[in-house]
Amino acid sequence: MMEHPAGRADGAQGGAVIQREPIDPAVLLAAVGDPAAGGNVLFVGTARGVTDGVITKSLAYEAHGPLARETLDVLRLQALARFSLTACRIVHRLGPVVAGEASVAIAVSAAHRREAFAAAEWLMERIKADVPIWKCEERDDGGRTWVHPVAAGRPGGAA
Amino acid sequence: MTSDHHAAGTATLVIALFAGMAEIAGSRNVELPWGGGTVADARRLVRGLHPALAPLLDRSAFAVGSRYVGDDTPLVVGDDVAIIPPVSGG
Repeated sequence: MMEHPAGRADGAQGGAVIQREPIDPAVLLAAVGDPAAGGNVLFVGTARGVTDGVITKSLAYEAHGPLARETLDVLRLQALARFSLTACRIVHRLGPVVAGEASVAIAVSAAHRREAFAAAEWLMERIKADVPIWKCEERDDGGRTWVHPVAAGRPGGAA
Repeated sequence: MTSDHHAAGTATLVIALFAGMAEIAGSRNVELPWGGGTVADARRLVRGLHPALAPLLDRSAFAVGSRYVGDDTPLVVGDDVAIIPPVSGG
């Protein structure tokens, strides 16, 4: 992916993607590279193998496709403006994700590190609150549980 | 389904369910007899049809197409309606 974002506003198509294929974080990081950037942050969320002492074999992700893509696009554009980012890429997995594999990755670049760190954290918080994607924990004992966090408010509050 | 648009009172509003809600309901969607109304009306009807969904329903948003919509939003037959329970991506 040898693209060179021309300006400050990274309006590239495919900036936010939902895919069944494994995530390649190196590709994501390379995609946000820019001569104007001095800080590049890559966050990779991986499927956790142990939750509350119970062994999770794999996670299965499901999404409301059109709404998830739209919400991710909006969050990405908000992050670009709010943190004066040079570029931003987001990828989220769908379907089965074996424990240890990447389920989500965010790469951002900005002139300075502070904005890049802040943007990556803000995006993860918003994604976990507003993007209609759900995980099902599939345990070693064959049991499975859809995760709908009790503390969460109604999704879409910021969309 | 298009003929349903003209049969007020007997038309069916199809609402998509996801994740734990689909599992509890045992179906990927719920069909409501629909003579018109808002998201809040749809919430009440879904609760009546599937009482087991009530705890999640209270914490769920509604969407039409690729937009979240509020409780005051009117829904018409043919709308691409979905219930969005608390999300757990990441």
